[in-house]
Amino acid sequence: MKHFTKLAFAGVLAALTAGAAQAQELYTPNLAYRTGPFAATGIPLMNGQADYMAMLNARDGGIGGVMVNAEECETGYSTEKGVECYEKTKGKAIVTQPWSTGITLQVLPKTNVDMIPILASGYGFSPMMDGKVFQWAYNTPAGYWDAADMIIQYLEGMESLDGKTIAFLHLDHPFGKEPLPVLEALAEEKGFTLNPIPVGLKEMQNQSAQWLQIRRMRPDYVVMWGWGAMNAGAITEAVKTKFPMENMLGVWWSGHDADLAIVGEAGKGYKSISWSFPNLDAPVMADIQKHVIDAGLSKTDETEMKGVFYSRGIIISAILAEGIRVAQAEYGVAEINAEQLRWGLENINMTEARIDELGLTGMVPPFATSCSNHTGHSGGWMLEWDGEKFVKVSDHLTANVAAYTELAQKNAKDYADANAPWPVAEGCEG
Amino acid sequence: MDLLNQIFIAPFVDMVAAPDFLLQVLWEGLVSGVLYALIALGFVLIYRSSRIFNFAQGIMVVFAALTLVGLHAMGIPAWISVILTLGVMFVLAVSIERIVLRPLVGQPDIILFMATIGITLFLIGLGEIIFGGENKQMISAELGIPTGDTVLEPWGGLLILQHLDITVVGVAVVLVGALLAFLNYTQMGRAIRALGDDHQAALSVGISLQTIWVLVWFIAGIIALVTGIAWGARAGVSFALEVIAYKALPVLMLGGLESITGAIIGGLMIGLSEKLFEIYWGQPILGGNTETWFAFVLALIVLLFRPQGLFGERIIERV
Repeated sequence: MKHFTKLAFAGVLAALTAGAAQAQELYTPNLAYRTGPFAATGIPLMNGQADYMAMLNARDGGIGGVMVNAEECETGYSTEKGVECYEKTKGKAIVTQPWSTGITLQVLPKTNVDMIPILASGYGFSPMMDGKVFQWAYNTPAGYWDAADMIIQYLEGMESLDGKTIAFLHLDHPFGKEPLPVLEALAEEKGFTLNPIPVGLKEMQNQSAQWLQIRRMRPDYVVMWGWGAMNAGAITEAVKTKFPMENMLGVWWSGHDADLAIVGEAGKGYKSISWSFPNLDAPVMADIQKHVIDAGLSKTDETEMKGVFYSRGIIISAILAEGIRVAQAEYGVAEINAEQLRWGLENINMTEARIDELGLTGMVPPFATSCSNHTGHSGGWMLEWDGEKFVKVSDHLTANVAAYTELAQKNAKDYADANAPWPVAEGCEG
Repeated sequence: MDLLNQIFIAPFVDMVAAPDFLLQVLWEGLVSGVLYALIALGFVLIYRSSRIFNFAQGIMVVFAALTLVGLHAMGIPAWISVILTLGVMFVLAVSIERIVLRPLVGQPDIILFMATIGITLFLIGLGEIIFGGENKQMISAELGIPTGDTVLEPWGGLLILQHLDITVVGVAVVLVGALLAFLNYTQMGRAIRALGDDHQAALSVGISLQTIWVLVWFIAGIIALVTGIAWGARAGVSFALEVIAYKALPVLMLGGLESITGAIIGGLMIGLSEKLFEIYWGQPILGGNTETWFAFVLALIVLLFRPQGLFGERIIERV
């Protein structure tokens, strides 16, 4: 009996210790994809994200003294696997990062029930900007409608679009169709013709039919909403068909250095709107080099580190880390829970000074979130491929958010009605 | 009335009005068709000799291309990398025969098919561990593959012929010619055909099943390498290349699983018809992206009338 009592005591102690040890971390799972047809674009982003969190763990002992567990769950960009990963990780997660518009759309209705914030930086369902309706979803710091508006603004800055034709080459997937409502509204307002050209998942690497259509259409501009192998396929076809590269622009997910490196000099002039930029002289890069790369904790390489996507991964993790810090400060606890992080994410204020303080100088424009504004609308820069790398060719651009706020609110309301009962943050006005 | 015009009149008016563009569409269709036929050939060869539907053909394309690029990245000259890649594909063929197929001799076809799914998953994992998932640049220039173009002006219009595409068509023709010569005029080739025609009879006259299986998997590996170079030179080498193997399925349905001629003609028919349909009917009437389904519909229509495909053997089973 004495022996049994000792065993029971040891068991209780072990359970308590294990419980305490388990609580001593911030579990921020990432529904990553390092395999499959989209791996080429996923890997540098995942590496950037992982390296930033590893740097915080090594340099600062985590965030607020609590280590970050940024475990990855592999989805292969498959919506089904993404939902499985969400279900598998949601138990102790304080955030979920779905990494696909398709997965985001599947997970979105579960958020009110599971009470886990979704961080979908620069992707997902654009009306998520309405934080009053989508209390648990964040596409901070910019959404697809921002991107569409900024691209059209940039083109208009060069010449009037009245009477022009724009071919909208997009992946035939929820991601590719996302900006259509804003582009269609802008086409009507500015007087240009918008011709959508879908690219099927199986045709990503053989887009000759799409580019024959573009040749026949003779558009003034091609705006691309591509991802994964579609980007390299489109850029090589554009070069092949002698489409003027300076008249081809893409969303931020279509601005991957490795895709352009395939055509090199021939891709000169291609542009991509972006809310992130690789500033290799930023202090954060030196810290990552010292604490992660030199320590052998990273999966990246020297070439990848210089690219747009790696630095974007860093920014995404930095946004999440800032949300955690804001929540820790507000609630006075280091081991915050999902509900507290939700508050943190909607109270981020990334001023120029704060960006400098975090060592991210020149890598992301300033932005702020609020309970009604879950996007932040940071704006971005137009980047251009100079034959070797992307360079900034514009000042800081900002989207004309007011032009589609009403549309976003209407779509958000429609979504809430279709998924009723859907709780709305009635008191949220700011 | 407008729809009837769009279906029956407008496309042909367009073709006549811009014959240079029609030529470009036909050329692009021909190049796609040749590439589809190449993938389908890998399936046909293995099916003919072993009745195995090789689900792993797509990943073999990726694996061969990644091996080539990976070896060259280690500082090995391009053409030596090609030879070493062929060596890797041979080792792969021997391993598949020894480890996977030999223990399954005599098992139902579905078991062997499932085994090729296992090979696919294994090669995906192995490839990702060794080479990573990043998009890599095909070593086209190092292999001497021309990258320029020839611009013609038929009827005062414009026809762009990529030298890469011309090379791909040329190499495919040589490869198919060599394959047909091998199958028809060499002892080993005739042994493969004999095994395809009648398994038991071939075995009874001393043809070695193991040797033939290694041989056909190796030839499928060579075809995979050529296909990988051709596709990889167009848009880089990544695991996305695996998806193109699905384009071979309607080619096989159309041409028949046992026929090399069927694979070639089926590939060309699908390449040309899906491109013509997409440009002249699909895009104006249906908003485009018909290539994802057109080939399957065409193959299904053929299957309604010829279940064995255009060139497949009629299946007669005595009960």
